[in-house]
Amino acid sequence: MTKPAPVYVLGGAQTDFARNWSKEGKHFVAMMREATLAALEATKIEPREVETAHVGNFAAELYAKQGHIGAFFVEIDPTFSGLPTSRHEAACASGSIALIAASAEIEAARYDLACVVGVEQMKTVDSTTGGDYLGTAAWYEREAKGIEFPFPKLFGRLGDEYDKRYGLKDEHLAHISAVNYSNAKRNPNAQTRNWFMSESHAQHESKFNQVIGGRIKVSDCSQVTDGSVAVFLASEKFASAWAKRNGKQLADIPRILGWGHHTAPLEFDTKVAESRDNAYVLPHTRQAILDAFKRASIGSAAELSGIETHDCFTTSEYMAIDHFGITKPGESWKAVEEGVIELGGKLPINPSGGLIGAGHPVGATGVRQMLDCHRQITHSAGDYQVEGAKKFAMLNIGGSGTTSCVFIVGK
Amino acid sequence: MADNNKVVIIGANGTMGAGAGCVFAGAGYNVTMLARSAAKAAEGLADAQNDARAEAIAERIALGAYDADLGRTVGEAGLVFESLAEDLPLKRQFFELIDKSRRPDAIIATGSSGLSIAEMARGRSDSFRRNFLGVHLFNPPHVIVGTEVIPGPDTDPAIVKNVVAMLTKRLGRKVIVTKDMPAFVGNRVGFKVLNETAQLAAEHGVAYIDYLIGPHTGRAMAPLATVDLVGWDVHKAIVDNVHANCKDEAHESFAMPAYMSAALAKGCLGDKTPERGGFYRRAGKEVFVLDPKTGGHEKFAKPAPIEFVEKMKQAHRVGRYSDALKVFAEAKGADADLCRRVVLGYVSYALNRVGEVAASAADVDTIMSYGFNWAPPTAIVDLLGAKNTVAMLQKLKLTVPKTVEQAASRDAKMFAGGVLEYGRTFVG
Repeated sequence: MTKPAPVYVLGGAQTDFARNWSKEGKHFVAMMREATLAALEATKIEPREVETAHVGNFAAELYAKQGHIGAFFVEIDPTFSGLPTSRHEAACASGSIALIAASAEIEAARYDLACVVGVEQMKTVDSTTGGDYLGTAAWYEREAKGIEFPFPKLFGRLGDEYDKRYGLKDEHLAHISAVNYSNAKRNPNAQTRNWFMSESHAQHESKFNQVIGGRIKVSDCSQVTDGSVAVFLASEKFASAWAKRNGKQLADIPRILGWGHHTAPLEFDTKVAESRDNAYVLPHTRQAILDAFKRASIGSAAELSGIETHDCFTTSEYMAIDHFGITKPGESWKAVEEGVIELGGKLPINPSGGLIGAGHPVGATGVRQMLDCHRQITHSAGDYQVEGAKKFAMLNIGGSGTTSCVFIVGK
Repeated sequence: MADNNKVVIIGANGTMGAGAGCVFAGAGYNVTMLARSAAKAAEGLADAQNDARAEAIAERIALGAYDADLGRTVGEAGLVFESLAEDLPLKRQFFELIDKSRRPDAIIATGSSGLSIAEMARGRSDSFRRNFLGVHLFNPPHVIVGTEVIPGPDTDPAIVKNVVAMLTKRLGRKVIVTKDMPAFVGNRVGFKVLNETAQLAAEHGVAYIDYLIGPHTGRAMAPLATVDLVGWDVHKAIVDNVHANCKDEAHESFAMPAYMSAALAKGCLGDKTPERGGFYRRAGKEVFVLDPKTGGHEKFAKPAPIEFVEKMKQAHRVGRYSDALKVFAEAKGADADLCRRVVLGYVSYALNRVGEVAASAADVDTIMSYGFNWAPPTAIVDLLGAKNTVAMLQKLKLTVPKTVEQAASRDAKMFAGGVLEYGRTFVG
């Protein structure tokens, strides 16, 4: 296979994930508009330079009774009228699928500049209704219908599977939660930046930290929120001109060094049955990581400066640790105990606070992870900067480990 | 600063004391919450746990009573945060006690929302006065991050710097430093607008004013509903203080309306007296609204829609804030004139405080945006255009602030941030 054309990441912007856009009386297009206009300003890109747009969104049909989300990009600015746009959906990995589609277009030399927008407005409904909507990211009829908060229960079972195969202590999950909350305090856009969290609060069931399903307590969960993120992906041609006019070298612009994308069977039981004889609980997620490593010519996670991973629940971050190969399969707890994953540790995970700390507006999450990788590589992450970051990975997951997307960003 | 991580809160059973306990303990400080009795302090802890939504916050909070514990705990503290009632003699009495037991390097902060810092420090030791300053948190402090720091005449500038850094970095606050003038910046500007709308309600009615000057004019909540939330007693204390002690261009806007004084005398304090209400009173699902003319409450009826208001709300809903402000600027008729008088009055009054109580327009923006959830005044200027703003101010015979004049002459933008910083303040 010939090496594809490089795809550059020029930067972008995100909304404050603590905002409640329903309380502000707003339609999700306002969110897309603020994120995109701010991204244009941050990157000094003119609206007329955008050639194609890809929107990641999970379930606006349910949360906002609105389909055809790609077309809403055109509503952001009159200049965008006529642009080719599309919407991509793969549950919580919707943002990454939009990124993959946009980068494929650039690799294919169809366009030189793509805008990728992730958006989700979730606070339009109460938490039980929202939990039911999220159930459509599983096989709804078989795994979610009539079940209150199906997803915490599914990811609780991921923890149970680890427990069965290797043993799992909940105190390690509590530590993962505390690290994410602690990092989020440094992130000015994080949903939980002013929330209280401590390891002991995360460890114990209490009035304010109830069990949601199985071994999953509130503190183990990322929480739904509203948010939009926009980033620009560019061809070498556009990136060179853009670098020049901004007084930068092309070599200073972060690129997508590698990517991986695999889809496992929808049902959690089928996944577990399939991986029964495998050292990795979610082998397709592991394969997506290995593919990205290979494309990026990376030997192992040791070559990374940090990871933004999909911690929709503490169990999914626990899974990511061994699937990235940071520890041997089943030994993620070692990296937790040794402080490897903490900001300042050997391989920080979720310096932004991740989904648990920064918030999880479903369709926007993958794009937010990409923006955070860009911030880390350009050393513009402020108080949550990983010192000297050179290569950053992101893992974005849809469903109960169903769709796995990985990107490696670096120079 | 005696940065030994120990904070003592005086008046810990009050709303702000408990809130401060939540904020300091949440940031990892070892907090002692003091009240008249340990049982009262425990009420404060329960409130702090509710604010934090975590019982575990108690692990960082000790409780005590003034008589038994003040001397010892203050003697160990790096920071003492006073959050007593807004009663100058009471506060002074406590500062005298604190002065006797405090460590020489301990910082003493008052949470007062507008009393004179100089008066509070008067008569205290040199060391006390060097280490004393105002740290005004807004209610509820675990949600509202805007914070004012107010040095007194003798406060050591290094202490101010340390406290600002601590509040910003450790407590995640958006901080401005203000002069020691009545109500400081946020409440001075905010309550000018709130009291003005209360005055206008005497003639135009409560529901109409809250609709006309509603969230579409750049605020999370309609103004008179805000007064009910704050409490009429607090409202009175603030506007009376400014009215008595400030003689500025909006002096009359701080005169408490007679109908409010009458209702207050009957015990109408707003949301904290639900049975008597304030501008609004709720009984089950029914909402009643005050008739300033009679002093009684009548069944709430939604005001007739006004075209320009509805158009502004529609534009905000889809994030087109400049379109909304264009509608605002160009609308014809008495309703629009009245709306512009209040909103441009806010812009004028707020930015006229630059160089007086506020150091910069950016500081005014910060505190109105993060203390009140109101649109930053310079963002309104930018959306209207500085030249257009000057013309509108002149037409309304409002003072044109220097900073706006300068922006107009240079055709420059005033607001430091972008749409992500002000967008949330315009409600559809």
